[in-house]
Amino acid sequence: MTPTAVLLTIQAPSGPAFEFLILFAVVLFGPIVVSRLGLPGLIGLVIGGFAIGPHGFNLIHAGDTLVPELGQLGLLYLMFVAGLELDLKVLQDHRRSAIALGLLAFALPFLGAAGLGTALGWSVPATCLLGALLSSHTLIVYPTLRDAGLGPNPAVASAVGATVLTDTLALVVLAIVAGTQLDSGSPALLVGELVLGFAVLVVVGFVALPRIVDQTLRRFGDDPVARYLAVIVALLLMGVLAQVFGIEGIVGAFFAGLALNTLVPNEGPSMERLEFFGNAVFIPIFLVSIGLLLDPSVMFRGNVLRLAALICTAALGGKAAACWLAGALQHATFPERMAMFVLTAPQAAATLAITLVGYEIGLFGTSVVNAVLVLILVSIALSAVLADRVIRRMPVAGIRAARIGDKVVVVAAAPGPSEAAVRAATLLSRPDGGHGDVIVARAASEPATELREVRRRVVRNGLDGRVREEIGELPAVVEKELLTDHPSVVIVDDPTFAEIPSRIPVMVVDETSPTLRLNVDGELATEIERRLRRRPATSQSAVRPD
Amino acid sequence: MPLADGEAFHPTTPGVLKVATAFLPAPGFWEGTPPTKGFEAGLAADLAKRLGLQRVEIVHVPFPKLVAGDLGGADIALSQLTPTAARMRHLSFTTSYLLAPPGILARTSADASDVHGLQELRWVESSTSTLTPILESKIRPLSPVVVEDRTKALEVLRAGMADALLLDLPVALGLAASEPGRFHVLGQLSDDEGLAVALPHGSANTEIVDSSIRALLADGTIGRLADRWFPVSMDSVALILTK
Repeated sequence: MTPTAVLLTIQAPSGPAFEFLILFAVVLFGPIVVSRLGLPGLIGLVIGGFAIGPHGFNLIHAGDTLVPELGQLGLLYLMFVAGLELDLKVLQDHRRSAIALGLLAFALPFLGAAGLGTALGWSVPATCLLGALLSSHTLIVYPTLRDAGLGPNPAVASAVGATVLTDTLALVVLAIVAGTQLDSGSPALLVGELVLGFAVLVVVGFVALPRIVDQTLRRFGDDPVARYLAVIVALLLMGVLAQVFGIEGIVGAFFAGLALNTLVPNEGPSMERLEFFGNAVFIPIFLVSIGLLLDPSVMFRGNVLRLAALICTAALGGKAAACWLAGALQHATFPERMAMFVLTAPQAAATLAITLVGYEIGLFGTSVVNAVLVLILVSIALSAVLADRVIRRMPVAGIRAARIGDKVVVVAAAPGPSEAAVRAATLLSRPDGGHGDVIVARAASEPATELREVRRRVVRNGLDGRVREEIGELPAVVEKELLTDHPSVVIVDDPTFAEIPSRIPVMVVDETSPTLRLNVDGELATEIERRLRRRPATSQSAVRPD
Repeated sequence: MPLADGEAFHPTTPGVLKVATAFLPAPGFWEGTPPTKGFEAGLAADLAKRLGLQRVEIVHVPFPKLVAGDLGGADIALSQLTPTAARMRHLSFTTSYLLAPPGILARTSADASDVHGLQELRWVESSTSTLTPILESKIRPLSPVVVEDRTKALEVLRAGMADALLLDLPVALGLAASEPGRFHVLGQLSDDEGLAVALPHGSANTEIVDSSIRALLADGTIGRLADRWFPVSMDSVALILTK
């Protein structure tokens, strides 16, 4: 056989392995490339999707089902994580200002969209869907403001709290509009189905699901894989449940995120795993699948750019007006109103989700999808630029007063903490959606601790926390924790522990007394006592809001 | 301004959706005289209704002319067309309205359950079919009879000069149902192709027709048409694995 004959047998790559190779290459390099231009990574994923898609190099063909189907899972994941990450405690703490801003930030862009849709001759469902799309927002810039010390500012906090409201309302509108397009029954039947669907989602999501998930995590949660999968099953269950009632799956996924919000603390190990897989696989694939729809021959047509300009005006103008009015109600300064704007203007997660649903049900064509992609790019870029100005002009609000349950650290001598100490940590952390760390202190001469058993005890008591071992005397380990790890409360599981002067609450416990000693008094002490008096954190009580 | 569902459809004849198709009759797709029954006939009627048009007019166009971009003056083509890169140079396509993996239409006397068995059959292939490269690469028949198009390939199969023909599975199911004593569907090959509506290349109507197809998919209209005209589910046809 000649070398030429051998070469002729070589075939062009194809099949699932090739598609995954292309896909993950885009997931890896897309964000890297655009970040060098100062753009957010998600733009790189969308552009990468375009490059490999039917309007680019056609490596992923128009009829391909693999990437869009994985993208669907990514979409559910994205909305689930959006619900999980929302800080419900902030909404509670800044209830009035958050509700005012939330309603305005929903209503004004919605009205803008209604005017735009009517002027352009769109149908009522398409106009309402555009309204839902423009009224939602994503807290892309929040980490930048938080890291600059602006998190505790009331204006920033109210914008964070308002997101819960705007996104929920936008998804409710989406559910209603999609229901009218998918259901061929009478309007009364449709309304009945939607009302029943939402009732079931609320009852299952906020009453049954957290208890079931909590129970599952307590029983099987010492295995990180089982812990992760239990949450994923909950997400998919809510997505499917929504679909059963003719409601879009992303609404169920978002509700699942809200429902498990306190069970999966933002800084805890469970969230770390969810974010890892979400950021590495599912969410990027969704963004790449959106990029497959990007068509420059459509996007850069004059009429599409005009449509994009109108959509940007309605969305950003509506958000700006909402922030101005809400700011006036709060007597906020100009930089504070700008801070509200940079937080509520970026359009990403919910916007993409609603756009894709609108496309799939035939309410939006490729022109609208491409115009919305322009909106996403403009809103994110504008917010990123304005965020720098806000940071320069707003006084740093200092470090937010830590909530009691933000990060509860349990320190115990080998072989590990008692049930009472772990239970106390759960009772303190859950109401704030916080997490806990468990540290086992031992002398170098002592044998290594059986951490697996400690981990079991931790999950059995419903605490989402990391377990680690430190070599050293217990008081020294406590002191180091107080100085270096910024805990909100330290629970010392040793009745002989002598008090260390500290502004951070240090609570000494033993098996017989949940609060043997506490180094603080006043309101803080009262609140700690109140939380510890609640029923032990079993599956029945663990998720009840305080 | 082409804006989502605010965009209007511009027919060549006011109030009429002119639909080009190549195969008349096409069992399961275009049946009856005039051809007003079948999956694609039903889809054309539903599409016309959604686009606000009063009636459908059929234009018969030979398949080679159709894939070369000549729709004979029709607005759209509904002719069991699979989008390919070559065809996209002459036509614009919408979202797929029906999944169409390759299906093996065989004479009832022919049988095979794996790729080796398929290789031993006598094959007929059409030089204009997008399935021919799949047949050549996945099954590699020994000495297939090559003809110009599907109509001629079916004549060869009916005459007993070949045992099997690779077609889009819904087409194969329709033919097998219309001639049960002569044909059966041996199996399907793994592929994610679909059938789509074709429009003249760059037609301004592409976006609104595309959105309408997605709407008809989403509200279950297309699913109901498929259930009515393809009573044998595609999932029930055996999958024959090839390398």
